[in-house]
Amino acid sequence: MKNKIIAAIAAGGAITMALAGCGGGNGGTPAADVDLSEVTHEGTVSVITRYAGNYESFFEKMKADYEDMHPDVTIDLQQESDQGYKDKIKTLTASQSLPDIYFTWPGNYAEQFYDNGVALDLTEVIAPGTEWGDTMAPSALEAFTKEGVTYAVPFGLDAKFMVYNQKLFADAGVTVPETLEELIETCGTLRAAGITPMSFGNVDGWPALHYITQLNSYNVPAETLAADFKPETATFDHPGYAKSLEQFTEILTECTDSGTGANGVDYYTERDAFGAGKAAMFYVENLEFGATVPEGSQAEADGWDQFKLPAPSDAEGDTEALTGAPDGFLINSRSKNAALAVDFMKFVTSQENASELTAQMGIPSPVKDSLTEENSTPQLRESIDVLQSASSLSIWLDTVTVPDVADAFLSGVEGLISGARSPEDVMSSVQAASEQAKG
Amino acid sequence: MSEGALVTEANRVELTRASSTLDEPKGGHGRGRKWRGLLWALPALVLLCLFVYWPLLLNFRYSVEQSNIFTGEQTFVGADNYVKMAGDPIFWRALGNNVLYSVVSVAFQVFGALILAAIIEGLRRERLRSWLRAIYFVPSAMSLTVTGLLFAFIYQPKGGLLNGLLESLGLGGLAQAWLGNPDTAMGAIIAMSQWQGFGYSTLLFAVAIQRIPSELYEAAAIDGIGPIRRVFSITIPLVREMTTLMIIVTLSGAFQVFNEVMVTTSGGPDNSTQVLGTWLYRSGFVKNDFGYAAAIAVVMFVITLTLAIVQVTIANRKRL
Repeated sequence: MKNKIIAAIAAGGAITMALAGCGGGNGGTPAADVDLSEVTHEGTVSVITRYAGNYESFFEKMKADYEDMHPDVTIDLQQESDQGYKDKIKTLTASQSLPDIYFTWPGNYAEQFYDNGVALDLTEVIAPGTEWGDTMAPSALEAFTKEGVTYAVPFGLDAKFMVYNQKLFADAGVTVPETLEELIETCGTLRAAGITPMSFGNVDGWPALHYITQLNSYNVPAETLAADFKPETATFDHPGYAKSLEQFTEILTECTDSGTGANGVDYYTERDAFGAGKAAMFYVENLEFGATVPEGSQAEADGWDQFKLPAPSDAEGDTEALTGAPDGFLINSRSKNAALAVDFMKFVTSQENASELTAQMGIPSPVKDSLTEENSTPQLRESIDVLQSASSLSIWLDTVTVPDVADAFLSGVEGLISGARSPEDVMSSVQAASEQAKG
Repeated sequence: MSEGALVTEANRVELTRASSTLDEPKGGHGRGRKWRGLLWALPALVLLCLFVYWPLLLNFRYSVEQSNIFTGEQTFVGADNYVKMAGDPIFWRALGNNVLYSVVSVAFQVFGALILAAIIEGLRRERLRSWLRAIYFVPSAMSLTVTGLLFAFIYQPKGGLLNGLLESLGLGGLAQAWLGNPDTAMGAIIAMSQWQGFGYSTLLFAVAIQRIPSELYEAAAIDGIGPIRRVFSITIPLVREMTTLMIIVTLSGAFQVFNEVMVTTSGGPDNSTQVLGTWLYRSGFVKNDFGYAAAIAVVMFVITLTLAIVQVTIANRKRL
């Protein structure tokens, strides 16, 4: 009997082991008076990215090139998948083992590191007006600036666009819609012509949130959004939120074949469906253009272009806003090689390497003039023009809000898609989560 | 508990039974042997304490604290995490899903597997028995990630095997997004899990049945007892220890289920497939609430420990 009880205790204990590794620690404060201008090119700099897989070769090249330039420096590079990174960074944070340089999404996701003193204040080296800062698009720096402090190095410029198949549009006799109402009409015309208007899969939850992010910026005034994204002032009671959810439901119903089953449909399968010429439209990040319309694909043969998700004609919010944000990197405030870490990131974001980033990975860089005819497609360059002319960038809903609110939106919208929840019900959950986050 | 651990546990049961039939060693070196035995056990004991019991104790402490993972600050909050849990509808939904998971798993992986094993072992042709055991065991040899991907294809709403089968049978009206519909997602995951675990349990029961002396069946047959009665009067009573073990392991496994959900739905849609393990993970690693996650872990531990004690107590009473 004792053996069995011990086995049961061991089984229960095994679950707790992961947690045990995640607690404790003595805390700490950011390194004071870090002189980032005094760089000694020796030592090790640890880096973690979320670019494992198709995108990992860029950082491998950066590591090799930098180590060639500085033989006494070792870049300890770890690259994780998107989900793998989200898991690992929490464990590293909780065990007070953050690397010198670590990836971040903008919004609350990045701010939580800075606010808690584990990300270095980089204002003196990268804020607008500094030599390095002046090489960057101001909107990219703005996304990582809080109360005058710039705390991250912008890395990739990412924004959301609707790509469309020009041949399928021509076959159905439709043109690029200019309002949301026109988009719904366009979907009807495409469907009547026997064409699937839009491919969409939401098995991961976030694809739907990207629609909601854009629609919220159209339906909710910018100042209300800004207040709601701060936990202390958040109310999420503007009627525009529910309106966005209604509009999303209309897009889902009128434009996609996935409909209420979209939660069981894979995003990447649907992306491939657009590439194969089986759907007329797909809502996608511009850094995915290359993967969405690969060389030799049907969509490439048919011809394709992109447009911004159109705003409803009665929008109360900012119709010039665009869903998107730069990805970035934070420097660990407790790093013993902070100056060297900053120097490595300066190298990574140099004009030459920024161009290489686009050429090799298809990711547009926030570094000015890094996009050229040689390293990018016309559609990618046009998307960056749209991004730079946008009145503001609407950061992804699942990173701009605190985790409780992001989670409430994510699960609520899944319920909305399956038909189990109404827009008002979703917003009640979001409001409850927001109240809980204040406590 | 892993399959390897289960085999070890099964062996341990058999070894315990076998060793109990051996005579106790005689002679005057009992104390020396005892200390030598402890010495040999010491490394394992140290590792067990370090990596199981110490974290377990720490987890109890974390469950009454609120943690700031960024600064490492821990604040004592008393029973707040448990009070929050009592009012958390997703926790109760997760617990309900675990209970559903355990009920179905015990029905299929214990009683269903026992009946199937009895049927297989009742077959006369050894070659057929071996083939059937192998066929049923194959799914258990597959990695859970592969199984998850396989079933994602089966359950795909567009072009998925299950919907295709339903349509070919004229039941297209039943076709749906099995993993995307909150009403069917949990059932779809449980079905996948039974598919994978059923053969393994069957194999273990088959091994237990093979150890029953054949004379008992022969005597029963001479007395005119039919095959069904033989299963209930001989097979089931004589594999009682294995049945008890399987119930414990299945129930513990059902309350610790994690991978099956993560590789298919990650707890969605709309938290409909959350189980305690995934809600623990989401609370800690997504929402940064490690104190609350630790409290969920404590509840999981208490449930599995209670189940184990109850099962072992009942089994011991029956044995007496």
